[in-house]
Amino acid sequence: MASPARELDVASAAAGYLRRRLTALGEKERFMLLLIAPAAAVLVLFQVVPILIGANASFRDWQLFNPKGTWIGLAHYAYILSDPIFLWVVLPNTFLLMFATVAMSLVLGMALAHLLNWSFPGHRLVQTVILLPQMIAPVIAATSMRWTFNDQFGVVAAFLRWVGFGQMSWLAERWPSFLIVIFTDVWIWTPWFALILLAALKSLPREPFEAAQIDAAGRWRTFTHITLPMLRPVIGVCVLIRSIDAFRTFDQVWVLTGGGPARSTEVFSIYAYVETFVNLDFGRGSAAAIIGALIILVVAWLMYRTIDRLTNISR
Amino acid sequence: MTAATAAIEPGSGRRMADALAPGGRMALLVLTLGAILLLFLGPAVILVVTSLRPGWAVYYIYRGTAFTVQNYLEVFARPAVVHAFINSFVLATLATLFSLGVTITSGYMLSRFRGPIPRTWFGTIYLFRTVPYISWVLPLYLVDYYLGIYDTYVGILLPHIAVHICFFSWIMKGFFDGIDPSMEYAALIDGCTRWGAFLRVALPSAVPAITALAILSWLYTWNEFLFALILTGHNTAMITVTMAQFVTELGTQWNLMSAMAVLAMGPAVLVTVFAQKYVIRGLRI
Repeated sequence: MASPARELDVASAAAGYLRRRLTALGEKERFMLLLIAPAAAVLVLFQVVPILIGANASFRDWQLFNPKGTWIGLAHYAYILSDPIFLWVVLPNTFLLMFATVAMSLVLGMALAHLLNWSFPGHRLVQTVILLPQMIAPVIAATSMRWTFNDQFGVVAAFLRWVGFGQMSWLAERWPSFLIVIFTDVWIWTPWFALILLAALKSLPREPFEAAQIDAAGRWRTFTHITLPMLRPVIGVCVLIRSIDAFRTFDQVWVLTGGGPARSTEVFSIYAYVETFVNLDFGRGSAAAIIGALIILVVAWLMYRTIDRLTNISR
Repeated sequence: MTAATAAIEPGSGRRMADALAPGGRMALLVLTLGAILLLFLGPAVILVVTSLRPGWAVYYIYRGTAFTVQNYLEVFARPAVVHAFINSFVLATLATLFSLGVTITSGYMLSRFRGPIPRTWFGTIYLFRTVPYISWVLPLYLVDYYLGIYDTYVGILLPHIAVHICFFSWIMKGFFDGIDPSMEYAALIDGCTRWGAFLRVALPSAVPAITALAILSWLYTWNEFLFALILTGHNTAMITVTMAQFVTELGTQWNLMSAMAVLAMGPAVLVTVFAQKYVIRGLRI
């Protein structure tokens, strides 16, 4: 049993140790810590702490009508990981959206970047127009797409009727709805790839291209043998960042389909949102959010390792 | 060079293009450009046209010539809409000021120093950049609620700063990496403090890049939807959420919703047209 005097002793010793450590840090280290202190404080308070609270909630039986929060261990995790909707609809949708939007935006963005790398009349107009989808809110983009693809009154429906197809109700079916979601996401993100790849193209050295021209290499050959290898690091970083962000897509899906028809186009973020704010089950929603975060952390890590091996982006 | 040899060698795009007469190449270019413009401008144009139609003429968009500005007047007559515009404007401005203020120093640190502290901070940023928003915004609702800041400016402002920290620190590091540090070393040798070297030497050279990021930051906050959906109620409703609510029991009021969307698109269009050069500089990775 420690006496109060001894406790005081320990406390003062600890304080002295801390003080010594802080002075031992040196003014350079203190300057470094001071520079990141505000950012770190906000990050901890409004990102780290909520994640911990969410992790805590995910182990509890916590509904709006039953806010006691009894500890139930891994029950929510077990439920979600055996929920057929999560396993066979939400996860495939999320990864399909991620893969489709990244692959298509990358290819189309590369084509657009090459087009914009030429000089032609109207160059500035095209660049301005393709910047627009990046600048407007995803919600607005999704709203205009929802209206464009409205299956009764939209422009596309009108056009299809004019061509000779009859009345169709594609919004009542899974794949056409999901295709519209993918199209919207590609529409928003193709310009991003295009503008970044354009900047990268412009910064490439000219000599290899001149050498290729002297050797009479065709355009396609020049592209696959010179442009692509030199752009690899940029492409690698773009794909990694976009994949991570595509995993958490919410706005477009929420506005376009709301996860419907009959939850068939739900993606991970929508699933967590619906569990929490529609079914009003904080515990289960938090568990879903944690599971999703863990999945993307693992996937992003694997992607980083793969892309790094292919392109040396960590150099 | 005939078209036949060009067809035999699929790898030679240049020769294939040469095989087309100059007029044909021109036509191809014009067609491609036309398709691109149509594709990327089309949805926005449809929105603008819809916003100018009277309510009864919204359907069957390709017919009729009845146009009106009534929708805009009607949208602006709603206090909720005006309120949302003010809210979004205030929030975007405050969030930009604070997130830049916090991340300039953080990016500078990442750019100028080596060792365990920057490495740890960089790892933290990478890690939290990857965590999906929904994973920390769901519990943030509880945090806001218990702190009593749910549906206040502070309650939505702080998460917006937090979300920008990882991304902006990263971009700021890139900005400072592009600035030669030798001037700062010279200032240090001449007796300047570290803070002085940062504030008087490094910071002024980074201002153009930071301006670009400020414009983007403002737009990101203006455009944001998920935080606004979860963390705001009646008091601090944002435009994106208010716009998504033009849905009544009779269905979506497309003419009003479009008018609101066009208005909300305003800043984006202004930036695209007038600040394009800056924005493209800020859109780096």
